[in-house]
Amino acid sequence: MSLSRIGAIALRILKQFGHDPRTIALVVIVPLLVMALIGYLIGDSGKGALPVAVVNLDAGADASVGHVELGEQIVSGLSAQGSIEVRTVPSEATATERVRAGDAAGALIVPADLTRRVLAGEEASIRVVVGGIDPNLQGPVITSAARAVQTLTERGSEIGFRASPLSVQTVPLEGGASLSPLDYDAPILLTFFAFFLTFLLTSVSFLRERSSGTLERLMASPASRLDVLLGYLLGFIGFAGAQALLILGYATWVLDVRIAGSIWLVLLVLVILLIGVVNLGISLSFFARNELQVVQFIPLVLIPQVFLGGLVWPVQTLWTPLRWLSQLFPLTHSTVALRGVMVGGEGFGDIAWRLLALLAFSVAMVAVGVMALRKQRA
Amino acid sequence: MTEEPELAIEAERLVRTFGHLRALDGLDLTVRRGEILGLVGPNGAGKTTFIRTVAGLLRPSAGRVKVLGQAPGRRVASGIGYMTQSAALYEDLPVRDNIVFFGRLFGMSNDDARTRAAELLELVALTGKERVPVRSLSGGMRQLTNLACAMVHRPQLLLLDEPTVGIDPVLRLRLWEHFAELNAAGTTILVTTHVMEEAERCHRVALIGAGRAIAVGSPAELRAAAGVGSIEEAYLVFWNRRMEEAS
Repeated sequence: MSLSRIGAIALRILKQFGHDPRTIALVVIVPLLVMALIGYLIGDSGKGALPVAVVNLDAGADASVGHVELGEQIVSGLSAQGSIEVRTVPSEATATERVRAGDAAGALIVPADLTRRVLAGEEASIRVVVGGIDPNLQGPVITSAARAVQTLTERGSEIGFRASPLSVQTVPLEGGASLSPLDYDAPILLTFFAFFLTFLLTSVSFLRERSSGTLERLMASPASRLDVLLGYLLGFIGFAGAQALLILGYATWVLDVRIAGSIWLVLLVLVILLIGVVNLGISLSFFARNELQVVQFIPLVLIPQVFLGGLVWPVQTLWTPLRWLSQLFPLTHSTVALRGVMVGGEGFGDIAWRLLALLAFSVAMVAVGVMALRKQRA
Repeated sequence: MTEEPELAIEAERLVRTFGHLRALDGLDLTVRRGEILGLVGPNGAGKTTFIRTVAGLLRPSAGRVKVLGQAPGRRVASGIGYMTQSAALYEDLPVRDNIVFFGRLFGMSNDDARTRAAELLELVALTGKERVPVRSLSGGMRQLTNLACAMVHRPQLLLLDEPTVGIDPVLRLRLWEHFAELNAAGTTILVTTHVMEEAERCHRVALIGAGRAIAVGSPAELRAAAGVGSIEEAYLVFWNRRMEEAS
């Protein structure tokens, strides 16, 4: 063992980094970006509450302590929780519509005879209507409703009821409230891996095309930039599509993941997404000199999408500018669309505007790809 | 039928800059149809920049260039074969697939490209290697494959950027025999080289220095005009004359 040789190797590595300012920038930027996002998402400040539509039909009843309205106490118990924003609506139909339209994360419906039944010692339940396809959205609503009910039950003796005949009944509009976590997460995994693997594959192979000089050859031929891009696109879509089918097949037959809607619609979502990703890979590869630099792009491309795109945290609660930003991310739309189709059994019309958003991303990326190739010829 | 222009390449006061660097600094040069013209000059003289401009890969910053009677670009690309300095090939693909791919890129049908690939493999003595991936080839064989890819579409004008770098003398001689055969069949060739015996094989030689053609003529004319016995010495004589004129 030679200390001087070990020192020489270590020093050389540090010197190499010194000549690679972009790696240094990434070493600083990436962890800061991740920590800032995690701090923001898990921390207490800067996030809005989840909107919940509330219909309180409870007429109340007379007890030993006077007129009691348990429904009102549940609603105030709900709004006392900072994570929920109570929005009172007139009817159950309106509440359900709000959930269906995505304007509310869930709806709480208190029946007219709630207090009467509870005080009479009969079984009673409040209903929580949820979308049924996004656990990030419905989870907090169900938990908060249960907590409000529990708080009330704990104070039961003061009001005049002993046991807890009060329960929370969850009603999913689509999908289910009690599907396995894998059913909910399979769409995320599918879209994430399709994105990640295709991006890596395209950017590295296009980088090779450039560094080996074959791209120059392509550009010296009668092939137009669009010919080159579309050729790439077709080749990679074929490859990435086969890969997506493999993931999907394994998920369906081996893991028994739920696909309530059309499998063709699932593939359509993935193909439109991948058109954009192939071109994103091509465009970004122009900013890299070698494979290592391509790999450095991955966290910058993926981390904001994963944290802000609704994959781990509901988009609805984000600070407004971040919410707008999340709408620019393809993963935001592909996740919602795939969850809608796979978990909720939604059809083409239900996810049409998500498909449109993905298409806009793909068209924009093709345009960027053509512009990036322009640098190669003349 | 339109009459073919007599000049394969015409460059007039051609300038190409990269930032502050003037790689081509008012280059005047013509290449006649049917000739082999050698570009000779030190590294950084502007030889590759000129070839890339002719191939349509670089746009002139100033001046004018015409290739096969038109401005360089996609419209004339099918008439040009470009052999890059280092073998620009798909390493994972077999030799034949590389040749066929470039043939198809130039508009050949799959069958035509395969027939032509077999012809070329025989010409560059790579028969038997058609199924071998490029990555397993020796440096010389790669250059031969590279040349075959540049010739697959039977171009009228062949641009060869240091085609014999890293190639053993026997193979180099064989390559030059191929160039002579192609030329005899009507292909115009523009070739850059550092090897003086290669320059001797060209019909005309352009001595390039600091982005300009400092002298153009047949090897014998250049030697005679400089009063020396080799092109290397002639280069120095012309360069020094130019420096004196400039000062």
